[in-house]
Amino acid sequence: MISLLSHIINGALSGLLYALVAMGFVIIYRSARVFNFAQGEVVIVGAFLFWTFAQYLEFPLWLSLILSFAISLVLGLLIERVVLRPLVGEELFALVMVTIGLLVFIRGLVLVIWGADVHFVPPVFSMKGIKLGPLMLDRGLVYGALMTIGVAILFSWFFNRTRLGLEMTAVAEDHRIALSLGLKVKRSIAVAWAISGALCTLAAIIFVSGKGMTFVAADIGLAALPVALLAGLESIGGLILAGLLIGISMGLAEHFLDPVFQGGVGAVLPFAVMIIVLLIRPTGLFGWKTIERI
Amino acid sequence: MTLPAGVYAETYDQDHALIRTRPQWIWFALLMIFVLTLPLYSSGKVTGIMIVMWITLIAVVGLQINVGYAGQVNMGQSAFMGVGAYTAGALSFHFHLPIWLTIPAAGIGAALFGSMFGLAAVRVKGFYLALTTIAAQYVFAFIMIKLPKAWFGQIEGLRLNPVSLFGIEFDSDIRIYYLVASVAIIMIYGAWGLVRSRTGRALVAIRDNDNAADIIGINVFYYKSLSFFVGAFYAGIAGALWAYYIRYVLSEMFTLWLSVWYLGMLIVGGMGSILGAIIGTVVIRLLQEFITYFGPWMTEFKLLSGIGGEIIFASMNMLLGGVIILFVIFEPRGLVHRWNIIKESYRIWPFPH
Repeated sequence: MISLLSHIINGALSGLLYALVAMGFVIIYRSARVFNFAQGEVVIVGAFLFWTFAQYLEFPLWLSLILSFAISLVLGLLIERVVLRPLVGEELFALVMVTIGLLVFIRGLVLVIWGADVHFVPPVFSMKGIKLGPLMLDRGLVYGALMTIGVAILFSWFFNRTRLGLEMTAVAEDHRIALSLGLKVKRSIAVAWAISGALCTLAAIIFVSGKGMTFVAADIGLAALPVALLAGLESIGGLILAGLLIGISMGLAEHFLDPVFQGGVGAVLPFAVMIIVLLIRPTGLFGWKTIERI
Repeated sequence: MTLPAGVYAETYDQDHALIRTRPQWIWFALLMIFVLTLPLYSSGKVTGIMIVMWITLIAVVGLQINVGYAGQVNMGQSAFMGVGAYTAGALSFHFHLPIWLTIPAAGIGAALFGSMFGLAAVRVKGFYLALTTIAAQYVFAFIMIKLPKAWFGQIEGLRLNPVSLFGIEFDSDIRIYYLVASVAIIMIYGAWGLVRSRTGRALVAIRDNDNAADIIGINVFYYKSLSFFVGAFYAGIAGALWAYYIRYVLSEMFTLWLSVWYLGMLIVGGMGSILGAIIGTVVIRLLQEFITYFGPWMTEFKLLSGIGGEIIFASMNMLLGGVIILFVIFEPRGLVHRWNIIKESYRIWPFPH
């Protein structure tokens, strides 16, 4: 019983972490109509930056945090300006391929800069677990989950209530129409990439704080895909629900199915859930339904 | 296909022919002589490289039909290849079936697995489809490791004995080369025919606008599934040949990154052209071999020290990512476009256009 409960709660917590990474996807997709496959790599660059400042250069924690956030924000802007701006209006396949190219390229670059060794990231949160009844929870993940919910509420408000957010939503609908109405399309897209870059670092710090990591940790970007798709690529609030759904079903799978299959179900189940959901609802749970015209 | 001026077809057969002019025949004959005699005078290493090249060529040409012609983003080609490899491997391992049966069976097996994602393609489009085919990769890796050990060997994989055909045992690289080359030539010939046919044109119509294609009476459901069926069939054949060459099958050989390499080859070569698939495969494979060859040399000179054995992996990734990004931005029509320009200006020389 306790094992079941701990699987469910830990599943939900890691599901919310995936939701945070997925939020990076969604914010870019909502304004630029680009699905950035390289998101996981941006996360890991954030983590390595934090390691460089906090561990290698031994800067104080607050300075390392600020610096890593600032640099990853600039990295997001840079990717948009150098790689994706020339492709505005290109067909979809070009956009898919260029972000995949980016993923592979950054992976190589991270290896060249930081190498393949295990890097130990200093803890940001206290390493002491949180005791909840009979359960011990990872403090970083709990704080991370709370932050994810907070950030989701913040951005839901931002996109639905503020002028800039609504402008970005309008840009997402159709770049050309938005441009003809005098909205600043380029600015909206740049803001989205910057926000997403910073969110990646937030996810990275929650993900690797107090742990050892290698460049392979970037696979969290791929693990977060099902959450983004399940929510539908446009919905920020939906991410929380999708993250919980996927996280809890992973937890349940680990509890009930892993003993049967000798492990590994938890990793593949989200993809199975994703395929089934997409076959029934091709735009995810909360995605925008668009009418295609010729 | 543009032809030099003054080439007229007087019969339908001439009009259908793939090779139309005498210089084309001469070049084709020279190419065939070259590829068929290559292992006789080249070193064993070159033969090995060429075998992998032929196998890759089959998979990439299949992907070209699926992605370049039908416009369905497929990131699961290496999983489909893996299904083919396992099918051929298991049929040879357990039932000792002859390879003229197992290789087509591998194609069909992979094609059936691929068509499941073709069915998804009818419902989901664009980014959603790309992500669904990534899921193919995970599902494949999971299933193959979890099926009973007696079937596919789980994490130990399948070890195969050399296969034989008409009494010839394929135990040396040279013999494998001829097997692989002849299968690849048949498959490429088939692809060239397919894309020129009614089916190929239907696929192109769907790529350009599937709603419009639907309205003019093309069965989008059928052709989208068919494009995945054909693409995965090619991957399955490639996988079977891979299994017989390496004589070992393990799901870890067929990763998402292999699929990305194949897509990279398409981008570099050029989308929507069989010749493009061939050019892309040859260029990228040669670059890969170049890096494998010079990687250790770079470490020796401390150009990029501190990452030791990972240098090859790192530079491979930077090469692949770099060429994909550069080609998508600066030469989206690929090398085949450059090649056509050169060919055209050679034909009309000395006139500028």
